[in-house]
Amino acid sequence: MRDIILSMKGIEIAFPGVKALNKVDFSLAKGEVHALLGENGAGKSTLIKCLTGVNHKDAGTIVYKGKEINPSSPQEAIELGISTVFQEINLCQNLSVSENIFIGRQPMRAGRVFWKEINRRASEILERFDVHIDVTRPLQHYSTAIQQIVSIARAVDIKADVLILDEPTSSLDENEVERLFGVVRELKRAGMGIIFITHFLDQVFEISDRITVLRNGNLVGEYAADEITKLELVTAMIGKDMIKIFDLKPPTVAEGADVMLAADRLGAPGAIDEISLTVKKGEMIRFAGLLGSGRTETAQLLFGVVKPTHGQMTLKGKPTVVKSPSDAIGKNMAFCPEDRKRDGIIGDLTVRENIMLALQSRRGMLKPIPRQEQQELAEKYIKMLGIATPDAEKKVGELSGGNQQKVILARWMATDPEVLILDEPTRGIDVGAKAEIQRLTLELCANGVSVVFISSELEEVIRCSNRILIMRDGKKAGELDGPFGEHTQSDILKIIAGEGASA
Amino acid sequence: MERIIRSKLTWAAVAELLILLVCLIIRPDFFSISYQPQNGVLYGSLIDILNRSAEITIIAMGMTLVIATGGTDLSVGASVAVAGALALRLMRWDIYAYPTPGDWSITPFPLVILASLVVCALMGAFNGFLVSRLKIQPIIATLILMVAGRGIAQIITTGKQFTILYSPYKFISQGSLLFLPAPIVIMAVVVAAVALFTRKTAFGLFVESVGVNPSASRVSGLNSKRVVLLVYTLTAFLAGISGLIYSSRIMSNDSNNAGKDYELDAILSVVIGGTSMSGGKFNLAGTVMGSIIIRTIITFVYYFSIAAEATMAFKALIVAVVIVLQSEPVRARLAKRSQMRTAMKGGDVRA
Repeated sequence: MRDIILSMKGIEIAFPGVKALNKVDFSLAKGEVHALLGENGAGKSTLIKCLTGVNHKDAGTIVYKGKEINPSSPQEAIELGISTVFQEINLCQNLSVSENIFIGRQPMRAGRVFWKEINRRASEILERFDVHIDVTRPLQHYSTAIQQIVSIARAVDIKADVLILDEPTSSLDENEVERLFGVVRELKRAGMGIIFITHFLDQVFEISDRITVLRNGNLVGEYAADEITKLELVTAMIGKDMIKIFDLKPPTVAEGADVMLAADRLGAPGAIDEISLTVKKGEMIRFAGLLGSGRTETAQLLFGVVKPTHGQMTLKGKPTVVKSPSDAIGKNMAFCPEDRKRDGIIGDLTVRENIMLALQSRRGMLKPIPRQEQQELAEKYIKMLGIATPDAEKKVGELSGGNQQKVILARWMATDPEVLILDEPTRGIDVGAKAEIQRLTLELCANGVSVVFISSELEEVIRCSNRILIMRDGKKAGELDGPFGEHTQSDILKIIAGEGASA
Repeated sequence: MERIIRSKLTWAAVAELLILLVCLIIRPDFFSISYQPQNGVLYGSLIDILNRSAEITIIAMGMTLVIATGGTDLSVGASVAVAGALALRLMRWDIYAYPTPGDWSITPFPLVILASLVVCALMGAFNGFLVSRLKIQPIIATLILMVAGRGIAQIITTGKQFTILYSPYKFISQGSLLFLPAPIVIMAVVVAAVALFTRKTAFGLFVESVGVNPSASRVSGLNSKRVVLLVYTLTAFLAGISGLIYSSRIMSNDSNNAGKDYELDAILSVVIGGTSMSGGKFNLAGTVMGSIIIRTIITFVYYFSIAAEATMAFKALIVAVVIVLQSEPVRARLAKRSQMRTAMKGGDVRA
């Protein structure tokens, strides 16, 4: 009954020293959304790259529309009708929406580009996805979600029977995700086969028909989405009991613990009007709120990335002014920023160098950390955080996203901070690593570190914090004290939506 | 083996050896080195190559760091001219009283050296200020002094050409230390100092970090503005040293021709040495090799009396070959081939 359009059987790929895929089977039917899940390094990307001609398989067959294929380049895959939309948008920001859709295959008339036609057709294609925008404006003018949709529209319009969505939702907020899913449903109705890769389990259940789980390059199983529970799925992905993760408890803060960090109506124009907060020693406070509600700006303000222009800050009871990140580091603060690529990793440097960087910059240029000590430091954190790398001398840019995140976390843990600010440290990484990072931060709290944790995932926010600050439109909209119960989530949502009582 | 093939330094060294080999075949005495007791110095083509490469090598040390931060410095040639002009002017302040040059300097010699280098360092600080604080693109920022620097040199010397016979100044280029021409020793000291400064402190790491990702470096607590300021200052300072060597060779100043095209040769040395123009990891040893290659080519051309007009074309040819050999796809392919050969040796001996 199911009309199989793509079937991969016994796929094997080996990289020097690693078996990336071991006899993996995968099939996709027309009009189906098939989720591909697994932890970082499970082999999802490798499987996709094999399908799109980036990596070449050592064994196995790919049958597409009844014929065996062996794409040798992404171009060839696209010509066959297999298109990919990546998390990072592969379009030209400064070209218009319609140029982006038609670049390289512009309709011509009388030897000239037929602009009218391009714009008309571009609008038409987007309207199909219920997107009504001015297609002559530059792409950068539009949100990430719209850009994703433009990217999909381009792929679909060229000719695509199989569409691969590689983590398309990691930088989208809830409304945008819904919008994207609307498009996906539309394509599904049109009979397209869609492979969906994500780390968000809720989204998997929301949109997929079938789920294939990989672990360490092996196929764990294929499941119908309505026949598996979330817990079963997570267990399949990480292969160990998940109870521990769901069992995390907020840190216990000693009665009368000292206030570590306090801000009183701190603000800077263009970033945030004013924010007041207190964090005690060993306390975990969380920020909740939508994207752009001022969470990141608060973190940047506390750490001196953006210089505060008004308000006061006290650190361990002493009034303090944090002028720059280097100043903040000197005061034993640490900040793991939201944008890993831009503000986090130094891609061409090694794992060791990335880990020691913040510590080194606190010691100053003229007091280098001895090589031996660097090595020990790197090895200690590679082991402690379970960073998957052959050795400390690997370039950080070559690691997977979750492992890069762990390296950045290691960079800050190495400075032995008293205040640790984490901005979305678990975005785009798998469940196992997420739980691991939660556990690590809780451990830091237990050792007396004060943690400010920003996260979009409410469940995560509620589970292990002492206090929750809710942001809305660049202001603190509310503050909830733990312990938290069943109603917390709806309380938070109400405050975010502007219905709840303000604190 | 694979690692060696993948290293850019290897290819620079191979290129250098090939050129020398050609020299040796054509002129068997090319490698001969003789000792001249009256000057206490060694003579020979190889010594000459090293001697003459000093100016570019010294500048290229700084240029490597500038390029590693993702920048470039076009003003080094102008700094060379300024250093020479200032030194000559200071030594010959008395030109109107004594029009004929002699073996004296009106300004104390240490002051001459110090002043020239400090002024060059200030020019570098100006470049660094434009790049780090005002966020002007390095090419544009340093273009200002590339053009204005020679003007400054002209103003310093009031448009005149000075000559001098002062022996301590002459020693900078003509003297000998440890049986070697002084420029070689100066070059060795500079190379060693820069290498130690970058690798024995965290300076090198900071330079690379800023070059790869300035934003992340700042969040990690690096003062990237200071790092950038420092590399431009250092580069101009080193260009000043080169300027003194150059003007000491001609015992005169030449605002128009001193250090001409040095910026291009220095950048080329860095690139041949395997440091990427997009910034990040740098390789000082490679740069030294790059500079020596460039000088070897020029010496080759002189030595075999190839028409001077052909020098540029010849240089371009060799550089093109080295750069192609170093390119990522070519090295990957060669490394793969060697891998296959090793694998074949293991199993199949027929080949």
